[in-house]
Amino acid sequence: MTAAQFEVRVEANRRLSGGYFLLELAAAAPTPVADAVPGQFVMLRGEWGRELLNPRAFSILDAPDPTHFSILAKAYGEGTRRLKRVEPGDRLVTTGPLGAAFPRPAAGVRDLLVAGGVGLPPLHFFARMAHRAGLSGQVELYYGGRDRDDLVLLDDFAAWGVRANLATEDGSAGVRGYVTAALAPRLDAAARTGEAVRVLACGPTPMLAAVRRLVLERGVQAFLCLEENMACGFGVCLGCAVPVYGAKPYRYCCTDGPVFDAREVRWP
Amino acid sequence: MTEGIDLTTSCGPVALRTPILAASGCFAYGQQFAAFTDLRALGGISTKGISPLPRFGNPLPRICETTGGMLNSIGLENVGVEAFLRDKLPFLRDLGVSVWVNFFGVDFETYVDCARQLSAGQGIDALEMNISCPNIKKGGIEFGTVPEVAHRLTRACVEVSRVPIIVKLSPNVSDIVAMADAVQKAGAAGVSLINTITGMAIDVRTRRPKIATTYGGLSGPAIKPIALRMVHQVARALPDLPICGMGGILSGEDALEFLMAGAHCVQVGTANFAEPGAGVRITEELRTLLGTLGFSSARAAIGSLQAHAAEPEHLVESPWMSS
Repeated sequence: MTAAQFEVRVEANRRLSGGYFLLELAAAAPTPVADAVPGQFVMLRGEWGRELLNPRAFSILDAPDPTHFSILAKAYGEGTRRLKRVEPGDRLVTTGPLGAAFPRPAAGVRDLLVAGGVGLPPLHFFARMAHRAGLSGQVELYYGGRDRDDLVLLDDFAAWGVRANLATEDGSAGVRGYVTAALAPRLDAAARTGEAVRVLACGPTPMLAAVRRLVLERGVQAFLCLEENMACGFGVCLGCAVPVYGAKPYRYCCTDGPVFDAREVRWP
Repeated sequence: MTEGIDLTTSCGPVALRTPILAASGCFAYGQQFAAFTDLRALGGISTKGISPLPRFGNPLPRICETTGGMLNSIGLENVGVEAFLRDKLPFLRDLGVSVWVNFFGVDFETYVDCARQLSAGQGIDALEMNISCPNIKKGGIEFGTVPEVAHRLTRACVEVSRVPIIVKLSPNVSDIVAMADAVQKAGAAGVSLINTITGMAIDVRTRRPKIATTYGGLSGPAIKPIALRMVHQVARALPDLPICGMGGILSGEDALEFLMAGAHCVQVGTANFAEPGAGVRITEELRTLLGTLGFSSARAAIGSLQAHAAEPEHLVESPWMSS
């Protein structure tokens, strides 16, 4: 699927709890983002003039029809602060869909979706696609955040029949602690019963590193959706190098990823 | 009547259909852009810098955005001469635009080797010799900052190259004219002005530099005034030396500023990241603007800058200002 650059208009900017905002974006004509699959991303840039040059990367939350897609974000820096302020009718330039997706659901393998904070979107999209395919019974969510407000869109998982296992640092929802505290016993249980499970994870890098250690220790297959600074998103700036094992020390988050096999990522 | 505007120009012996090229390091080897834009509408493409052997680049993080620009320290990652000639050059050659192969070495001998090997490739219009990348260690800094060293290196590469050599100079020097003069006397067909300016950014929360190598190269509109000043200084001091100007060009008006300052052509760099069609858009903007301002051609605009009228002497040295 070839990416394109096109203009979209903001249809809605929904404020969620925890400082999250969900942008519903519409193009005038069908775009290739309509064919996006979970894990793929878009680059978005507003009318930011000369002060802020580069677009920002966002996982695609959903692409419900040929002209619409949505993203979920939180304000961290100047780019996301500006995006949080957009209003219906505002124009954004989109480049996408970009990157490699999570693997599709496989028969006989249970997918454990592990999300941390702003890493929810590709896993939310995965659960939605699994639901559409009648496979939501094969999917479980492990979702961690700082507190109850940091966990969003939980109703969707309930509606799709996807069991959500929550973890918060303050204990205000689910188990107290990081999401790995909820995931580790699940992996151990699967190992005891010989159940085939696979981990698909997205979240802050420290969380992904912890998930990676858990799965490598247990020999569980896992795919991590990474985040790196990128200027272009399509393999030119070479800013988003990811350290990997193999013939070359680096691959690229934008074109080789953002989804990588956990065994391939060269992290301590 | 903007269709009638003649955009053809040249950088010394290198003929160009338009003055707008894609800049090295911001366009890879061109292929990724084919999905987004009409590459044939560009005047030319300067490739990612090529070294004799492949390089894997620097540790992370490699880039960060700053006000009106970005810092990078990619580390001159590239596929190496052999893979470039075999896998990348045919695509570029078939586009029919001017192909500039940016290159560098890690020492004197590898620079000369690289120039010799590359210039044997079919369909290369110019070699753009990078003596100015801030992101390479190993004493490479002298090539770009000491006129005598730059002269010797340029002469050695010119002697082995079958195509014109355009030297990309570093702005991180106190006398840009001395550098340009040194490489011109060594046989350079032109100069590219400017490479990135060394800079730094700090994350106060982590107390770490925002890029792994601490210092990186600043590009984007933040450096445009410095680039223009250097182009103008070199154009005025060395009127026979062709200049390819660059540094933060985002619009046709930016490009025209460089032409007026004395550049014969320009490169568009950082703009390509956010907008892969930037070069083509800027070309059209330049065409329109030239027509609006009454220029019949891009060539007519080159060096067309007019100085402000000088103040009368008695106002410059006003009696009541002297102590």
